[in-house]
Amino acid sequence: MPVVVACFKWVVDEAYIRRGAGGALDFSSVDYKIGEYDRNAIEEAVRLRDAGGGGSVIGITVGAPESAKGVKDGLSRGMDLAFFASDPSFKDLEPSQTAAILAEVIRSRIPQYDLITCGEGSSDLYAQQVGPRLAELLGIPCVCFVQKLSLEGGKLVTDRRVEDGVEVVEAPLPALVTVLPDINTPRIPGVKDTLMAGKKPVTTIKREELAGSFGATLKTEAMTASSLERTGEKLAADAAGIARFVDTLRKSGVIR
Amino acid sequence: MAGIWIIAETREQAFELLGAGRSLAPDMGTALTAIVRKGAGPPEETIARGADEVFLLPELPPDQPFGAHLPVIEQEAKTASPDLILFISSARGKEMAARLAARLGAGLCSGCTALAFDKGSGSIRMERLAYGGAAIQKLTASTKPVIVAVPPRSFEPAQVVDGRQGKTRELPSPPPSAVRIIEKKPKEKVAKDITEARVIVCAGRGFDKKEDLALARELADALGGELGATRPLTEEMHWLSADLCIGLSGVQVKPELYMGLGVSGQIQHMTGVRGAKVVCAVNRDENAPIFALSDFGIVGSLYEVVPKIIEELKK
Ligand SMILES: Cc1cc2nc3c(=O)[nH]c(=O)nc-3n(C[C@H](O)[C@H](O)[C@H](O)COP(=O)(O)OP(=O)(O)OC[C@H]3O[C@@H](n4cnc5c(N)ncnc54)[C@H](O)[C@@H]3O)c2cc1C
Ligand SMILES: Nc1ncnc2c1ncn2[C@@H]1O[C@H](COP(=O)(O)O)[C@@H](O)[C@H]1O
Repeated sequence: MPVVVACFKWVVDEAYIRRGAGGALDFSSVDYKIGEYDRNAIEEAVRLRDAGGGGSVIGITVGAPESAKGVKDGLSRGMDLAFFASDPSFKDLEPSQTAAILAEVIRSRIPQYDLITCGEGSSDLYAQQVGPRLAELLGIPCVCFVQKLSLEGGKLVTDRRVEDGVEVVEAPLPALVTVLPDINTPRIPGVKDTLMAGKKPVTTIKREELAGSFGATLKTEAMTASSLERTGEKLAADAAGIARFVDTLRKSGVIR
Repeated sequence: MAGIWIIAETREQAFELLGAGRSLAPDMGTALTAIVRKGAGPPEETIARGADEVFLLPELPPDQPFGAHLPVIEQEAKTASPDLILFISSARGKEMAARLAARLGAGLCSGCTALAFDKGSGSIRMERLAYGGAAIQKLTASTKPVIVAVPPRSFEPAQVVDGRQGKTRELPSPPPSAVRIIEKKPKEKVAKDITEARVIVCAGRGFDKKEDLALARELADALGGELGATRPLTEEMHWLSADLCIGLSGVQVKPELYMGLGVSGQIQHMTGVRGAKVVCAVNRDENAPIFALSDFGIVGSLYEVVPKIIEELKK
């Protein structure tokens, strides 16, 4: 009956970011979501709980108070309860700070757990750091880029993807994994799941309730919009359109 | 003491990182230390290619992962206190960089796309992508050391310079790691390197089944190009090798021509083709984001359109 901790982040949906005046990022029409790969991390935690015939899934997220919506979204994906480290200053943290806060929440609030699951990377920063950093801060083994995983007799057995193939790796529990998107297919919560999520326990933890200073190690000097826009001429799928398509290719000199 | 360190698992990684290190060392007025696997090649060569000092990581038993070296490297870093530590952002490199950063309380710029030393302010300036590639984040370090992980092939490998001298030292064997490798399943076939391809035909989820990729291949052949893919095809469907995935979590390509077939044009993918001269697309959804990110494209089913393009190309 494993206790699995799932770390997830409530992020800006990048599809709605616009390029503003002078290359600034325009967030005026953005929506928010749970990071793509964090959904795999939650799903895997839930799967392991169910496969282990009980136990529990504890979700944790660090963010600004507005991320409360994300906590509910996370709970609708099958977690049992959640810890929400919430502070206005937790808005634009860098990975070292996020990992330090997560470690403090786990050390101080979760006395026993078997496994921590993280996404392969967050959808906004995609730093791919928080997981392995967190494992180090907690002094537990970590396996990154996991495609397949099972818990057997106090240890973890995983398939992890590396450039030269797949490594079957084992580690004693408690341990931390970061998961790749093919590990499972995250559920899409239904109305009932959303309703139930509202009844699940959430512990909100303010900055002053956590021990530690959580200073930054990197400084963001600028964040500017990149521009990928092109002319975007659309042609029809008829004979004329195809002829023009191939002709344009020829004229651009890219076909030899 | 100060210095630039590079930590590499393979010779190729070491040479690229030495290239990066050598480009920074003179301005930073510091020495370059290479930490490399003993089995990865003779230290004389590492020195000839730019290292002032080589630390050799002893060979490990087959069940021990590269990360097992971490406690030893941590100790060395605490003693020598380098300014900058460079890794290649391979799977093992990324993990090791993050774990070392946590142990040293250091900042880590992962997926670093630009790295320079600003002599005026004496600071290391780094850039990376954020929001799936919609933004460029510029960073400096607030603490020392700063760790940087650069994607493979971001830097020219350092060349051999005759007459270079350097010291070599063997590092101690680490204690056994709790993480053990019980089996290695090597990849069967190494896919073509598409980062140098002149023409890329990229297949997306618009393909219904694996066999249909023959159509994309046929078009690639007609154009004298290579086949690339979006991440769902390599990572979720496993239809193609992960080396062919283009984008934020795959490779950055810079072909003269990129043609996306059944590719929606999400930012995480398109950021990988920002260096392409011509971008075009075939997608049946006229509202697919790829059209705005293309020079031109055809709205229609790839199953109808691609055979006709191949036909037209033969004319
Ligand atoms: C942190 C992070 C990193 C990521 N990194 C990458 C990356 O490196 N590379 C990458 O590719 N993705 C990456 N992704 C995933 C990315 O966000 C998209 O999900 C992915 O690129 C979509 O792939 P697709 O266009 O093939 O599929 P879809 O988005 O499903 O699009 C399929 C398209 O095919 C069209 N279509 C369907 N049938 C036909 C037909 N018969 N003829 C023509 N068109 C048809 C549809 O209209 C649709 O536009 C990443 C995501 C995250 C969160
Ligand atoms: N603010 C956060 N709260 C909880 N978990 C997080 C947070 N940021 C990152 N994570 C976890 O760490 C993983 C890697 O994030 P990153 O290092 O930012 O790419 C994510 O997939 C999440 O599982």
